Amino acid sequence: MKKIINLTINEQAYEIAVESNKTLADLLRYDLNLTGTKKGCDTGDCGACTVILDGDAVNSCLVLAVQADGAVVETIEGLATDKGLHPIQEAFVKTGAIQCGFCTPGMIMSTKNMLDKNPNPTEEEIRQGISGNLCRCTGYQKIFEAIDCQKS
Amino acid sequence: MLLPEFEFYEPASMEDALNLKHNHGENARIMAGGTDVLVLLKKKVIVTDTIISLLKIKDLSTITKADEYVTIGACATMTQLSENPLIQEKFSAIKTACDSLGTHLIRNRATIGGNCCNASPAGDTMPALMIYDAKVLIESREGKRKIPIHEFFKGPGKTDLDVDEILTGFELPIPPENSGAHYIQLGKRKSSEINVVNVGSSLQYDPDTDKIIDARIALGSVAATPVRAENAENSLIGKNASEDAFFLAGETARKNDCKPIDDFRGSASYRQAMIGVLTKRTLQTAFEQAK
Repeated sequence: MKKIINLTINEQAYEIAVESNKTLADLLRYDLNLTGTKKGCDTGDCGACTVILDGDAVNSCLVLAVQADGAVVETIEGLATDKGLHPIQEAFVKTGAIQCGFCTPGMIMSTKNMLDKNPNPTEEEIRQGISGNLCRCTGYQKIFEAIDCQKS
Repeated sequence: MLLPEFEFYEPASMEDALNLKHNHGENARIMAGGTDVLVLLKKKVIVTDTIISLLKIKDLSTITKADEYVTIGACATMTQLSENPLIQEKFSAIKTACDSLGTHLIRNRATIGGNCCNASPAGDTMPALMIYDAKVLIESREGKRKIPIHEFFKGPGKTDLDVDEILTGFELPIPPENSGAHYIQLGKRKSSEINVVNVGSSLQYDPDTDKIIDARIALGSVAATPVRAENAENSLIGKNASEDAFFLAGETARKNDCKPIDDFRGSASYRQAMIGVLTKRTLQTAFEQAK
């Protein structure tokens, strides 16, 4: 049975009918074509599907779409503006923190949430802050540098 | 991975949740953060046609203090507990346990009630709750009951909950003066790890005589459920708080209080050795705090 939910994604309001067994990750990708959010493991281990849900970074593969009724969701598509890429995205490009790119949206959403909450993280806090996101190209050092140069 | 089809309910009150659980019986699965339940459903480890989410029941996610007790709602998340000033001040071992569970992404969703109901022998929050003498608060349509947390776990994935019952929270006495507690988890990496061994200890001592009045030690990942190390606890009572006493407690815990198994995370003998080391270390830090 489908249920109608209302939610805000990247500052745009949506009203959409969803099945109860659909995850937020699948809603974003397959129903709304927001394919910037990736699916890796689908079990909350890899962090490729990271989105910011009501101010907290979460694995969208472990949230049911129906649970996002009334929620405010930020995805990677919401970061760039008419003026260009988001500063975190710029930093990832400049430092070469992107190899295959599959983990990048998740890494950037985790980074954004970390910097929103703590604009001046220590090295330990940065590493903790992206510890839920796996990069199988293992380019962690460049990712760390991209985040480190974003500190205020 | 596809989720099977199920009916999804989000009751806004405990009364509605209990009625739903009663009406759907064994077929209904209670869900809080979903970080375990949804994974188990995707992997087809569990089968259910009804999910009842507790997240819309506001009272279940509060942390409140009344008289000498703190009540933690079943749906309090790891992040929420970790950032709560009362938990930080009075129950630091719970904060440490919450900080060591999963990843920051999981911790934003995972709840303390869910961690206990999942009843993994290696769960992070259980030893921490056990050393603070937590009581589990359980409700059904028939009424409420309260049991000591170490009686709640019955085996891997098994708890004392009846079909009609829902865990609603935990009641913890405020730790007395001159007491301290600590929790250490040992894994191969710092994040997203299933513990090889995890240990929590708390103790209270008399500053006039330096003698230990009370001690609780809880061991994880070394039996079918998290267990209290009763022999080690008893070995401490009445002793002077000292490195020797903590070392001996560790030896007792290692020899008499745990029965670990070999698996791909670690051998039984390694686990046993680490029980000795971590029991001693947690006691030492607990004592530093108590002073």
